[in-house]
Amino acid sequence: MDAQLTTTLVAACALACACAVLSIFVVLRRWAFIGEGIGHSGLGGAGTAWVLALLFPALDSPGVTYAFVVLFCLLTALGIGAVARSRRVNADAAIGIFLVASLAWGFLAQQVYFQARHTNPYDFNTYLFGQVRGFGTEFALASVALSAAVLLVVGVLWPQIVAYCFDPLTAQTSGARAALVHYLLMLLLGLVIVIGVRVAGSVLVTALLVLPGTTALALARRMRGVVACAVAVALVGAVGGLLVNAKWSFLPVGPSIVLILFAQFLIAQAIGAARDAAAAPAR
Amino acid sequence: MRLRSRNPRMQTIVDITHLDFAYGPQLVLNHVDLAVARGSTLGLIGPNGGGKTTLIKLLLGLARATRGTIDIDGMSPRDAVRRGDVVGYLPQNPRVTSNFPISVRQLARLGLVGKAGLLRRAAREDLVFVEELLERVGIREIADDPVGALSGGQLQRALFARALAARPRLLLLDEPTTGIDRSGQQRFIEFLAALKRDLNLTVIFVSHDLRAVTAIADRIACLNVTLHYHDVPERMPAELVYRMFSCDLQAMGIGGKAHEGCATSHVTAPT
Repeated sequence: MDAQLTTTLVAACALACACAVLSIFVVLRRWAFIGEGIGHSGLGGAGTAWVLALLFPALDSPGVTYAFVVLFCLLTALGIGAVARSRRVNADAAIGIFLVASLAWGFLAQQVYFQARHTNPYDFNTYLFGQVRGFGTEFALASVALSAAVLLVVGVLWPQIVAYCFDPLTAQTSGARAALVHYLLMLLLGLVIVIGVRVAGSVLVTALLVLPGTTALALARRMRGVVACAVAVALVGAVGGLLVNAKWSFLPVGPSIVLILFAQFLIAQAIGAARDAAAAPAR
Repeated sequence: MRLRSRNPRMQTIVDITHLDFAYGPQLVLNHVDLAVARGSTLGLIGPNGGGKTTLIKLLLGLARATRGTIDIDGMSPRDAVRRGDVVGYLPQNPRVTSNFPISVRQLARLGLVGKAGLLRRAAREDLVFVEELLERVGIREIADDPVGALSGGQLQRALFARALAARPRLLLLDEPTTGIDRSGQQRFIEFLAALKRDLNLTVIFVSHDLRAVTAIADRIACLNVTLHYHDVPERMPAELVYRMFSCDLQAMGIGGKAHEGCATSHVTAPT
């Protein structure tokens, strides 16, 4: 195994573990749509950087683009978090509007850049579908550090997070720090999406935050089992997707990972259906 | 007119003074003064839209009064709730995800999260108390079952255990007998009376069920934007209730004149 693949594998596995744990809460709180909104805002951030690069050529670099992706993802995460807790605006509508606006702006910006420079932005396809090449050791270490931070925060605040996810209202009225947990989860979602965009792309990154949790909840009956199952599902998806890309380089990483996750989801549904049928009383 | 207890020595746990609350231009509560004695049971009745649920929200610190003050055992509602062991709450129609992967025991223990604090786990003595509660509410034998497998009555008892897990001083119940049949309501009333006695609870419960309210409440407060009545159930004017609910107390086995169209049934107070 070459050093590049090893580095990428470490980054992807670290990301998979963090996404797997968060995906449980995303599914239980029905935040899949919020994940979409945050994920696609990354393309809006990249689009902003591409347009600015036309005005200020010194900003035309992958680092600047990624910085805008990070900024947009985090601002969107906190903004959607505030909308979701507010009763003045319908959260679904607001997220949907922001989601399509981010996507539209990202694609529009890409066309503006193409019209001006007669070539796509340097990493346009990367932001859509993820990439394998160019992962430096620094990125892998950052992925590991971020994922460790996510797992540590979730582990320390586990009772508060579970209480909040079960019922935010009664969690708050029981004295749990519901608002803190809410915004912390939004921030963690934003951070893992920022990393995940590099691996799976903005179009598919939310699959990492939905499929492992959904699959695990279909198979396990207790939180510990759900966590273990979600992590296993995510690791199989991440490693499998990378190996597919390593074998057939024309197949992008992001879609490969997502389809392996989807296959596991289908298997879990079949197992769940068979288990329910076996448990049903005989007629 | 301020309606307060006539007993100057009454030790109050909830003291509401000159309370106003409005949603925008709509006044929901107007100049409410209410004192709840420690260890008592207050039934809060009133027509839909009268402000009962809003008052509960204010007591839980979920909303801020437009004017006036609320004191819960010497604290603001937010501080009282933040402590985790002052106020317990059982909401009407609690939202429960049926496939949430926790057991009945774990559900009851969720009530300890606030008391334990942000970075600590629940104390052992509190976990022992939760086991006793599960036994008291009659679901100890299903404590390891997933919450998705519970019947409606079992789930309500589990949520009740959650509300009491931190041994609160004040228990707020919002329509606790809604959706429960008559025998279930009777069992709930008896069960609540016993727990209240053993845990020295103060209970405020909102209900449309006048029979259940009069069966267990020491005091009744009739709320319809303003507080129209706050005294013992026996002195409750029948014409006030008829005006509020378009129904007759005697026809419900409570008092007053019978009126056509009102269903009759009987709920006994616990002995």
